Amino acid sequence: MFNPVDDAVERIARHLRRPVQIDPALDGRVMREISALPAPGRATLGGEVWRWLRRPHQFTLTPLGGLVAAAALTVGVLLYRMASTPPAPPQGESRAFQFVLVAPRATHVELVGDFNDWDATRTPMRRTGREALWTAVVPLVPGRYHYAFFVDGSRWLADPSAPVARDEDYGQPSSVLTVGGGS
Amino acid sequence: MTPNCTRAALSLLVAMVVAGRATAQQADARLERLDAATRPTVAALLDSARTAMLPTEPLVQRALEGATKRASGDAIVTAVRRLAADLGHARDALGSTASPAELTAGAAALRAGASQATLAQLRHARREPLTVPLAVLADLVASGVPVDSAAAAVLGLAAQARDADLVEFRRAVERDIALGAPPAAATAAAATAADVFVNAGARQQRPGRP
Repeated sequence: MFNPVDDAVERIARHLRRPVQIDPALDGRVMREISALPAPGRATLGGEVWRWLRRPHQFTLTPLGGLVAAAALTVGVLLYRMASTPPAPPQGESRAFQFVLVAPRATHVELVGDFNDWDATRTPMRRTGREALWTAVVPLVPGRYHYAFFVDGSRWLADPSAPVARDEDYGQPSSVLTVGGGS
Repeated sequence: MTPNCTRAALSLLVAMVVAGRATAQQADARLERLDAATRPTVAALLDSARTAMLPTEPLVQRALEGATKRASGDAIVTAVRRLAADLGHARDALGSTASPAELTAGAAALRAGASQATLAQLRHARREPLTVPLAVLADLVASGVPVDSAAAAVLGLAAQARDADLVEFRRAVERDIALGAPPAAATAAAATAADVFVNAGARQQRPGRP
C-alpha cells in the first residue's frame, strides 16, 4: 500500500545521504575565527569571590547557629574594644608613704581614700608613742589620691600637712596626695 | 525574607541583646555599698564612661567616697556625673593617649578652674607624664592662687622641671602663703626661684664647651 508520508521521508533520507562537497577552506576559516576569540583568563580567587558576591544566595540559620554567631560577634566586639583602649603608660613602682595624724584624744583612727576603696576597715592607723601620734604606711603607685582620716567612727579630718581637696559634693574635708613618677 | 531567615535574624537579635545585657551587668561588687536606688544610676554612668573609653576607677572611688561619707544618693550621682564630664573634657584636651592618672589630675585641674587650652599647652610643653604638673596646678588653685598665675607658673616650669621640682615648688608657694604672702606674689617668687634652680640643673647637664 502506498503511504505518502513514508515516501516523503524516504526522499528526504536519500537527499541527506548524498555526499556533500565542503569548501576545503572551511577548516581554516573556522580556526581563524576561534583564534580571534578572547582567550579565557585563569580563574583567580578575587574573581571567584567577586562573582560569588554578585550572585544572589540564600542562607538558613538554626537558633543555635544564631546564638553561636551572636556570641562570636560579642566576643569580637569585646576584643576590639579591649585592643583599642589606649594603652596606659607603665604605672611605675609603688612607693611606701607614711600618713601621720596627731590626735591626742582619739581612741581609734582609720585612714580612708582612693587607695583603699574608702573602706574604713582596711587601713586602721596605729598609735605610736605617748604623743598620740597615729600612723599608717600605704604603698602607692604614681597618681593623685584623695584621702581623709576617720576619727572615732564619727569625725572626718583632713590632713593638715597636705593640700586640701576641693569638694563641693560631699561637704566633708579631704586631702590630696600626688605621687610622681620618681623623676 | 524567608521564614528561616526571619527566625535566624530574631535568634541573632535576642542573643545579642542577652549578651549585651550580660556584659553591661558585670557590675562592680564594690557598688553594693551604695543604696539600691543609687546603684543602678551609678552603674549606668560607669557603663557610659566605659563606652566613651574613660577610666572608670576614679568614678568608682568617687561613689565609694560618697557612700563612706554617708552622702545622699543624689549627691553621689551628681558627683560621679560631674567627674565623668570632667574626665571627658580632660581627655579632649590631653588627647586619647593620656593615662588614667593624667586624666584624673587633668579633671581636678579643670574643676579648679584651669582651661582646656592650658592642659593642651602642658601636653605640648612636656614629654614626661603630666600627672604631677596638673596636680600641682589644681593644688595651687585650691590654695588660693589665681588660676592664671598658677597656670603661667606651671607652664613655665613644665618643660624642664622634674616631678620632684614641681612638688617642691608647690610646697614653697604654700609655705609663703602660710607666712602671709599674697598667693599670686608667692607663686611668682617661687616660680622664679624654681626656674633658676631648674635651669641651673639643666646647664650642669649640658656638655661643656672646650
